[in-house]
Amino acid sequence: MTPWRRLNPRMLLVHPIETLIRLLPALVVVLIARSDSDSRWELIALPFIVAFGVMRWVTTRYRIVDGQIELQRGLLNKQTTTARLDKVRTVDLTAKVHHRLLGLAKVEISTGGGPRDRLVLDSLLVDEGRRLRAELLHRANPEITGLPAPTGAPVDVGDLGPDLDVAPVVDEEVLLRLDPAWVRYAPLTTTGLAAAAAALGFVSQGFTRFADESDVLVERARGLRELAWWIDVVLVLGLVCGLAVSAYVLTFWGFRLTRNRLGSLHIRRGLLTTRETSIDPARVRGIQVDEPLGLRLAGARRLKVVTTGLHREQGGSDWLCPPAPAPTVTALACQITPDEQAVSGPLRSHGPAARRRRLTRAIVPVLVVVALLVVGRLIWGWTAALLGVAPVLAVAALALGVDRYRSLGHAVTAAHLVTRHGSLDRQRVVLDREGIIGWKVEQSFFQRRAGVATLVATTAAGRQHYDLVDVPVDRAYAVLAEVNPDLLAEFA
Amino acid sequence: MDVHDEQLPPSQPPRGLMREPAHRVSTRAVGMWTVEALVGVAVLLAGQIVWWFVDDRASRSAHWLVGAVWLVLSVAYVVVMPRWRYRVHRWEATQHAIYTQAGWLRQERRIAPISRVQTIDLERGPVAQLFRLASVTVTTASAAGPLSIHGLDLPVAQELVESLTAAAIRERGDAT
Repeated sequence: MTPWRRLNPRMLLVHPIETLIRLLPALVVVLIARSDSDSRWELIALPFIVAFGVMRWVTTRYRIVDGQIELQRGLLNKQTTTARLDKVRTVDLTAKVHHRLLGLAKVEISTGGGPRDRLVLDSLLVDEGRRLRAELLHRANPEITGLPAPTGAPVDVGDLGPDLDVAPVVDEEVLLRLDPAWVRYAPLTTTGLAAAAAALGFVSQGFTRFADESDVLVERARGLRELAWWIDVVLVLGLVCGLAVSAYVLTFWGFRLTRNRLGSLHIRRGLLTTRETSIDPARVRGIQVDEPLGLRLAGARRLKVVTTGLHREQGGSDWLCPPAPAPTVTALACQITPDEQAVSGPLRSHGPAARRRRLTRAIVPVLVVVALLVVGRLIWGWTAALLGVAPVLAVAALALGVDRYRSLGHAVTAAHLVTRHGSLDRQRVVLDREGIIGWKVEQSFFQRRAGVATLVATTAAGRQHYDLVDVPVDRAYAVLAEVNPDLLAEFA
Repeated sequence: MDVHDEQLPPSQPPRGLMREPAHRVSTRAVGMWTVEALVGVAVLLAGQIVWWFVDDRASRSAHWLVGAVWLVLSVAYVVVMPRWRYRVHRWEATQHAIYTQAGWLRQERRIAPISRVQTIDLERGPVAQLFRLASVTVTTASAAGPLSIHGLDLPVAQELVESLTAAAIRERGDAT
């Protein structure tokens, strides 16, 4: 009988700390507002919180037996989760600051499609976690990995004879290390800007709460308002850049991508919360090169992996490279997907009908807005200056439409299907032909009139489907025929 | 076709379009879709009636206007949609692949190799039971790729499920 293993007892500290952090805002309010006469209710709550942690430690146990991992939880409502080892897709080790102080890491094992197919072990010692990961991903035998290190006098390899292969075994090949200079790309991505916006929102909420009471803040705010408008703009830009950069540093500091002998990809990153993701090579179905407009203008790209078992809610575990210079990203992509033509080769464009449709979609909203402005001027007497934005809008829309058309493209190589689309969020997806598990040819009413179709390759990985938008109908079937000739032959 | 960046070498010669799937669904599917459309229309009618009683303004012209537009669109929908669908909906299953065509305004063809099939479901909704019809849904490991065939004769659907199950068992692998 394989013995059950438990979480590390230090997790008893993690739970109260996390509860404390979660309750911190409430605690601060209570501490400020309370008078001395209040009873010390937190002293009553503490034993309960600790007891809850102890119960969790006592009732949670796991083991690997018969090619399965079993996880048991709960006291009254006993839950046993079982997953076959060959279904394990990715293993994440996450360590927040308090985990790191205690030498712990949270292990998350993803086994299948949905977010529910996950086993979470909170927490193990970092080394224990890594050993478990090796057992899971490489089915390494714990009886061998758990053996003590060999003893005895070391033997010089030179004494063993010349024909012995003495090349040192490279355990891990480092594919990418973060260059701190890449931080300059942080404000150019929407992820960076979103982080900045979130932080700004949080801070401004705090300010409005205190503004009633603090004269100093009101004074400062008035001082800001009296400054020239361009100083305000510079200040806001500076603030946004600063926040985006700090978000980048927090997320990607120490980013390191390695590949071990068995081909597993390991990603380690994070300044305060560290995160390690391991991806089984058998689960990888391709890569995605993100080329959002901001990064493109600065000559940068970022790289993600298209794999089964990773889902969006896992927040960026699929990043293989943070925003970085294009040559670096292309070289890395070629190392992971050794098909240069697919990674950076030319793409076939989708033709005049696709261009017409892109331009129509860009222009029609502008026409609607202009019509609205004209109506507003005629009926409600809006100022004519508003109409001045129309040419600006039109030029921007036209540029967007043209760029969206220029971005559209596809290619079929010996091993991959490549598709690219988008402008502000342009992405080029290189999908393994082996990973395509079905096809859709979609035609809306207008697409049928224009003689184009959207060819959808479905897959078990990443976004689940990757589209070739608005390709001419015969071209759509030609791509299908090239990738799956026998499938088309069935119905030709 | 114009090509940006560089010119690609011409790919293999076009093979022409795929033919349509071989089989139509049951003719009774038209009836089923009509009833389903009527149910949808009835919900809208209920909304119209509620509005009639809730609104306490004297003028009823807005009601008549909305009602007339609603009536024209509904009749067109109930009459046209089922027949249009019937002309589009087709399916075919071979030893190696399954192929469907569906839709009306928006049409699509789906094709999946049997080796990637994960589950095969036979479903009979209340309206479908009324018409002795069933639908077969074939899922793959992709969340984007289920193939559904609606409005099949029940015996045909059962036979299809059996043959697909047998074919799927012959193939191996975890289908991802």
